Amino acid sequence: MAEKSGGMPPVNLNGISRPGRGGVFVKPKNMKGTLRRLWRLTEGQRKGLGWILLLSAFASGASILSPYVTGKAVTAISGDDAVSWVLLCLTGLYLGDWMVKFLQAFFMALIGQRVIHHIRKTLFSHIKTLPLSFFDNHRHGELMSRLTNDVDNISTTISNSLTLLLTYGFTVVGILFMMLYLSPFLTVVSLFGVGMIFILTKTVTKYTRRLFSRQQKSLGALNGQVEESVSGLSIVKAFCREEEMEREFEEKNEELCKISIKALICSGYLMPLMNVINNLLYVAISVLSGVLFVNGRITDIGLVTSFLLYVRQFTRPFVEIANIYNNFQTAVAGAERVFEILDESPEPPDRQGAVRLNHPRGDIELRHVEFGYTPENPVLKDISIKILAGTQAAIVGATGSGKTTIINLLTRFYDISAGNILLDGRDLRDYRMEDLRKAFGVVLQDTALFAISVRDNICYGHPEATIEQIKKAAQTSGADSFIERLPEGYDTILEHGGMELSQGERQLLTIARAVLANAPILILDEATSSVDTVTEQKIRRAMLQICANRTSVIIAHRLSTIRDSDLIILLENGTIAEQGTHEELMAYNGHYAQMYKTQTECL
Amino acid sequence: MKLILKYIRRHMGIFLISTFFLTMEAMADLMQPTFMSMIVDKGIQNADIAQILFLGVIMLGIAILGAMCAIMRNLFASRVSQTIGKELRRDMYHNVQQLSMENIDRLRPESIITRITNDVAQIQEFINGIMRIMVKAPIICVGAILLILIQTPRQAPVMAGILFIVSLLVVGNMKIGYPRFGVVQKRLDLLNGVAREFLSSVRVVKAFHAEEEEMNKFEGVSVELAHANTAALRTMAVFSPFINLTVNFGIVLLLWISGSGQSAEIGRLMASVNYMTQVLFAVNMISNTLNTAVRAAASSARIKEVLEEKPAQHVPQMPLMPEIKGDIYLEQVSFAYAGSGKETLRNIDIHVCPGETVGIIGSTGSGKSTLVNLIPRFYDAVRGTIWIDGCDVTQIDTKHLRNAIAVVPQKALLFSGTIRENLRWGRAEASDDELIKAAETACADEFIKQSEKGYETMLGQGGVNLSGGQKQRLSIARALVRRPRILILDDCTSALDARTEADVLSGLRSMAENITVLLVSQRISAVMRADRILCMDNGSVVGYGRHDELMESCETYRAIYHSQIGPEGGERHG
Repeated sequence: MAEKSGGMPPVNLNGISRPGRGGVFVKPKNMKGTLRRLWRLTEGQRKGLGWILLLSAFASGASILSPYVTGKAVTAISGDDAVSWVLLCLTGLYLGDWMVKFLQAFFMALIGQRVIHHIRKTLFSHIKTLPLSFFDNHRHGELMSRLTNDVDNISTTISNSLTLLLTYGFTVVGILFMMLYLSPFLTVVSLFGVGMIFILTKTVTKYTRRLFSRQQKSLGALNGQVEESVSGLSIVKAFCREEEMEREFEEKNEELCKISIKALICSGYLMPLMNVINNLLYVAISVLSGVLFVNGRITDIGLVTSFLLYVRQFTRPFVEIANIYNNFQTAVAGAERVFEILDESPEPPDRQGAVRLNHPRGDIELRHVEFGYTPENPVLKDISIKILAGTQAAIVGATGSGKTTIINLLTRFYDISAGNILLDGRDLRDYRMEDLRKAFGVVLQDTALFAISVRDNICYGHPEATIEQIKKAAQTSGADSFIERLPEGYDTILEHGGMELSQGERQLLTIARAVLANAPILILDEATSSVDTVTEQKIRRAMLQICANRTSVIIAHRLSTIRDSDLIILLENGTIAEQGTHEELMAYNGHYAQMYKTQTECL
Repeated sequence: MKLILKYIRRHMGIFLISTFFLTMEAMADLMQPTFMSMIVDKGIQNADIAQILFLGVIMLGIAILGAMCAIMRNLFASRVSQTIGKELRRDMYHNVQQLSMENIDRLRPESIITRITNDVAQIQEFINGIMRIMVKAPIICVGAILLILIQTPRQAPVMAGILFIVSLLVVGNMKIGYPRFGVVQKRLDLLNGVAREFLSSVRVVKAFHAEEEEMNKFEGVSVELAHANTAALRTMAVFSPFINLTVNFGIVLLLWISGSGQSAEIGRLMASVNYMTQVLFAVNMISNTLNTAVRAAASSARIKEVLEEKPAQHVPQMPLMPEIKGDIYLEQVSFAYAGSGKETLRNIDIHVCPGETVGIIGSTGSGKSTLVNLIPRFYDAVRGTIWIDGCDVTQIDTKHLRNAIAVVPQKALLFSGTIRENLRWGRAEASDDELIKAAETACADEFIKQSEKGYETMLGQGGVNLSGGQKQRLSIARALVRRPRILILDDCTSALDARTEADVLSGLRSMAENITVLLVSQRISAVMRADRILCMDNGSVVGYGRHDELMESCETYRAIYHSQIGPEGGERHG
């Protein structure tokens, strides 16, 4: 049963996945290995952690000793002995307990957060090195919760459970020892009670686990429906589907409510029943100690008092330990998912003896390039292209023909499966990645901007740029006119990551960014598709200017915009169907000529 | 918190029942130490086995009764918290469905989603906790103190002193801790923001080799979060052990006072010690909820925003239900998005005849999409009136209006379900033949048939398993299934290659004979054949007429034309 739930993804409740708590119980696949790795991540904080663990061992001291001392006090009071001495002991014990608990919590607040920060940092610095394929294949929401809440929860749960496990472990052992010391016979009887509680816990959790995992599923379904219908609300409204959506939602909501109630009720049986067993045990011990008292086997009333206090405390840690261990396991399983990300192999490191790339001329050659995002689905087949330095190449073709993929390969977002891509006569993989990426100035399909000032957005990746350079880049791309109309001009902060700008304005900013980067090779991936044609003309003119001594690769839908390119490559289904200049291709009268005519046929 | 109270009030009956059981449960808990003390005092000390057994059975009976009460309490309490959660979700969802796009823009869809899902879960947990904290903890506290006083009245001053110190500590903990946890919440949001931004712009980050900058940004907010957390947790680290210590000192004092007097009854003393422990437990319960309380307060504020959002559009008192033929007249219409001072549309005054196809062209940000969004009342004009078949659009029954309109948005949005179900969004009662015909017109039939399950192919959430072009074609087909009187195509062929686009457009032309079509496009080739073309610039109409007319009279149109087709047009390459 537990094995089955091993594949359950973590579910985000409250924006925070709560391993174990009222939720799914997941068993880690490799407890030892994961713990070892976690231990490795605590580097630098181990001394602090060691202290905390030591303190948690001491934290059990009060619970172990105080019933004994209380018993002594009781004996003393009943016998009018030296009460004050015993009470002094008790006071000392409590003071010690206070000290230990305070220090433990105080250090934990610091060390725990440091560890969390360290893990988060490690995770992020690994994620940033991962290849693009990773980001394309993972849901961003999931990655986000891994980075923020999960790390927090996992490490908090693990460290809390660890200290508690230690404290309770010592408590149980200590109390057991004290109980054996006081009365071995009564101790044996108490162990029966513990056994009963154990069986009870096992039985109840068996049912609750099943119910909680059903609850998680139901919650997932509801969340999915909400996500879809709210983000597509305009369509829901346009097609008057509000009522249907609400009905669908109602159904899922009802189901979730029902199953949640069931799960909560079921798990609510545990505590009260345990309390009954506890009381049963108390009565049994009382009766037995009464018998022993009658027989004269016990003479010290303080001993009975101590023992009864121990019995009250003895069973709780057992249940707690079971509970905490469950949480612990789930948290470790959560940590495994974090480690799965850390295990993703990063972008391949630079080859041995990778060379620096300074001011490349910009000769690009693709030789029999083959590529597929998955091995069984080749996207590019036997592509050979030669782009001379300083010339402009245009790639055209239907959607899905592989245009964007070529860009992904040039910038080494993905690596080719077979063939070679050469820059200035050398394989791309021979260059240092950093230099290679800096050699390309790209304007990508998605106009990603950052929630920083317009100025910082333009000089993104080049923080050393002067304001003059930034303004120049904005002028070249034609973005200056709208920037100057912004409330704070270049210092305007794009609080919503550029969503407050129009699509065209965003595009202009990304172009300005590429202009500033001043890279020897320019790549424009359909960047002009959502800028109106008048603006596009402006950009084109600017681009021509900066393209002058640069190699450039352009992908565009509108054939009119690339008519003057030195080389036009028509892709069809991942192969090159035609290539040549506009005139050559028109003369060839193949698919390109046809496409061109379709677009301008009205003349 | 008022919000939570309001919802609890709706279930007052069950809430009171569960409070009743909770009280009983607490009573049973409170009685136990008394019986324990009696067992020691009357039974063990006198070596009276019969008495022990007698008292033991009573004690067990009470424990069982208490357990039953606890189970009943849980039964009702779970029902209350889960039902309230359900109602909150339902009420929010319902309200969101009533809101107009203006509201949605302001609240942002992602934010609404997390409010419906996560924030409600937070509240549920809090409600689950309240019962224990607000009801059980005080009962236990007061009860235990009363019982101590009954058992050993001499303790009154000590108890009063301890109680005073403990409440001071609890209040101090709240006062200092609450704002600190508030800071944690804020920093956490910040961290989430940075992570989200990185993930959505990862291509750019990589292309500009700015990984290190992003790393620094992330590290910065992560450190700040860690500091905030440390500060908040340290409040608890200081106060919580102090509360413990105070109560423990109480125990010592208790023993001391008893010891200095005459030899008291041991059992009673034990009971008092036990009651002190219960007080401690209850107090800890209260101070440990700080974190949950902070989160619940934040959540309920966010939920309230959604619940109290009033639809920005007014609903007509006596909605009109005219027969919609497709006559559209925009009379001096101006529009500005809420919160932006700039008018996106200015004094638009155009008339579209039924059955006419109007192409709308203009530069980015010229207001094309905004204009067509006014027709199905996604937004309302700020000034001026939109007349549909002679009726003010704000007076027409919205459902009636939208039933006659089909929209194909820029971003193709599909829903989880089969392709067939998605197409039936257009019209629930459409026959299979109609679906296929619409798909054929939209050039979607071919790829649908190619997939293994054809029209039964399941689409993932948002249609994730389709390419952009496929989604657009399905979205067009869905609109055609509707058999609308007015068809709005908002630049919906951008992901199609020129060939397919041309096919789709010619298919549409043949189908749209009696339909009023508003066709927004960036490409001149798409709009050129329209009956009339509306050329927009910066929120105003700069030309409205046939292609040749505009070529004559409209400079903007001519510029667009030349930028796409070239000044010499086909002469050179035609």
